[in-house]
Amino acid sequence: MKPADLAIRFAYFLEESPRYRRIKGAAYDLLENPQSPVRPYFDFFMMALVLTSVFILLYDVRHHLGHWAVKFEGLVVVVFVLEYLARLWVYDDAHKHIIEVYEESELIDEPFRLSRALREILRSKWDYVSSPLAVIDLLAIFPSYRPLRILRLFLLFRLFKLFRYTQNIQEFGAVLREKKAEFLTLFSFLLFILIVGSSAIYLFESANHGGQVHGFFEGIYWALVTLSTVGYGDITPHSFEGRLVTMVLILSGIGVISFFTSIVVSAFQEKLGEVRERQVAGRLAKLKDYTVICGYGRVGQVVAKHLARDHQPFVIVDESLEAVREARRAGHLAVHGRAQRFGMLRMLGVGGNARRVLCLTGDDVVNVYITLTARQLDEKIEIISRANHHRTLKKLELAGASRALEPYKIVGLIAGEYIGQPVAFEAIQGILMGQEEIALEAVRVPEGSWLEGKRVGETPLEALRLILFGVITPLERESDHVRHYYDLSAHRFQFNPGDDFILLGGDMLLVFGHRYSILRLRHRLKS
Amino acid sequence: MEERKRNIVVAGAGPVAQEVARQLCERGERVRLVDYDAERLKKARLAGFKAEQVNLEDDEELRSLGLGSEVDVLFALLEEDAENVFLVISVRALAPKMPIVAISETEETVKRLQAAGATKVIDPYQISGYRIYEMVHRPVIAEIMDRTVFGRGVDLQISEIPVPAGCFLDGEYLDRLELGSRYDLVVLGVVDRDYGDQLIFATHPKRHRIDEGDIIVVIGRRDELDRLKRDMEKPA
Repeated sequence: MKPADLAIRFAYFLEESPRYRRIKGAAYDLLENPQSPVRPYFDFFMMALVLTSVFILLYDVRHHLGHWAVKFEGLVVVVFVLEYLARLWVYDDAHKHIIEVYEESELIDEPFRLSRALREILRSKWDYVSSPLAVIDLLAIFPSYRPLRILRLFLLFRLFKLFRYTQNIQEFGAVLREKKAEFLTLFSFLLFILIVGSSAIYLFESANHGGQVHGFFEGIYWALVTLSTVGYGDITPHSFEGRLVTMVLILSGIGVISFFTSIVVSAFQEKLGEVRERQVAGRLAKLKDYTVICGYGRVGQVVAKHLARDHQPFVIVDESLEAVREARRAGHLAVHGRAQRFGMLRMLGVGGNARRVLCLTGDDVVNVYITLTARQLDEKIEIISRANHHRTLKKLELAGASRALEPYKIVGLIAGEYIGQPVAFEAIQGILMGQEEIALEAVRVPEGSWLEGKRVGETPLEALRLILFGVITPLERESDHVRHYYDLSAHRFQFNPGDDFILLGGDMLLVFGHRYSILRLRHRLKS
Repeated sequence: MEERKRNIVVAGAGPVAQEVARQLCERGERVRLVDYDAERLKKARLAGFKAEQVNLEDDEELRSLGLGSEVDVLFALLEEDAENVFLVISVRALAPKMPIVAISETEETVKRLQAAGATKVIDPYQISGYRIYEMVHRPVIAEIMDRTVFGRGVDLQISEIPVPAGCFLDGEYLDRLELGSRYDLVVLGVVDRDYGDQLIFATHPKRHRIDEGDIIVVIGRRDELDRLKRDMEKPA
């Protein structure tokens, strides 16, 4: 069999093998996958390894370490080499190139050339090998080669290797990379000044003319020390021309430094939002069943306050920077951005871990839009939306809202009730708003508790000073001894059940009463 | 007393005011919608309201509306908090006893409006926020409340019923009324004018004996409430 046939057959074998794919997937999870749960452990292990090895190499400068240090260094190198190879392997699928080339040649009816496939593989792998992080990885292996002292310099690359394992430093790098063009400008300017400056000082202050500059390298060294405003003073110009050059160099040095600072600062300011966004996304990935609150206006603030009090997880998104700042000040997780964007909602976990979306902006168009977007991303997610106008209600329903609420209508209702029955409504409102000692609560009858199978008349509710408003049962329950019941979306509300109504496990008693009475009832149901 | 139509002035013609006016009209009250802002008035008229233009900063015009005389309740539902505070102060000076209901945009204004003389301050955002929180936190109770007290044209209603002299409840203890079995009603509590305007809940540890002039507060269906009212009018 020719090697080309063998390569093709092997490539197809790998393509079809689920085991190979599984192993490669595991390696990807370990090394690269940012969402993988095992990767943090691996990163941590590698960081410890890097730091220990650097420490040993530094300690080795002045002390003599025993046999074990050499062995440890050997182990480190083996791990680094294995890691390097594994990353090279995971970077892409080599066998796919073979298959691609083969299928292409089949299509145009040409003989398959293995050399072309190999060239493709090499080219794609070279992409990886020449990437900065891969170069650092490679260089980090070298310092253990003792005979060459300059290779000790590569020790620093071991420290650079730490970049790979920390998210924050990688983000730092990503932010600076965005400003490539500015840095390039700055660098060419710097280079120009440096060359001009060092040439001039070499001309005017060289040792031949009684100066301190002994060579062109010293000229460059001096120019850089001056330019950076560090100014050690080990080499100082004495001639008039030399001092003139120094003055020009110092002035341009200030310019270079402020330019550099402004590039870094502006890069971060521009990217701060994105960096924050990614951090929020990272924190959300660890949460489950949380609420996404779109809009941190007055309504959003009230909802967030209550949810925070209950320690329920939630995240806020708002278009206004001011509102986001406000939310962060209150200690909430918040992102700045437009919630109607697909990308934003997906980043916030809609279609993933998020359990419900609350559309609470003051703009009905935005609310409808968010509802629609969220519903497209996730068919099952609960969406509660605010309708500022009653005509929006229908649209929200069509867009896929599970529930909608009209603030103005509530005001109207309260106003109306206030006119009709001021005292009763004041009291009910207090109860419903959780402002009173008296509360309306649902108390579950646990399966197998002493209350199960009891008639309503036998319950100790009266002794506990609780008023039974009704019983919440599953929809399919009979309504014996109940004069009126109301079917809700998933439950049946049995209003004012008679004494002979029998309670079953899982039912909920809806009771009015003092908070202590309700607590006592819950407590007794537990024991 | 319940049958008498009340004269209500709604100040403001924005969306909130329109909604309030609509609901009050549905309840059969006599409502006048007034505002000074021509733009808002135009919108309200387009929505089908008979809105009148009145300068709300002028005491004479306020008096000519009947504030301080035949108007029973004023709603201050203007869009700016400052406007509402000013209106409440002006009207309170004209009519020291009349109930004034005001709306507040922010939490701080609630106190300011109360100090200005508002009888009741509604904070729509606070209420809406809490309602949404309830939908998240206790969806079943929220749904029951939507179907009962918070809905419109719904099945269960809260009602205040004054106890006439010599009716069959006169002299009974609050926790012995047995309205749950005799009628399909749940008794929430009672207001005894001798003890102030507060509602005394039926769960209160001190037993309360009902007498003439008390107002009992009950929840139930309209027909049951009517049956109870009819029975209460008959002497025991």
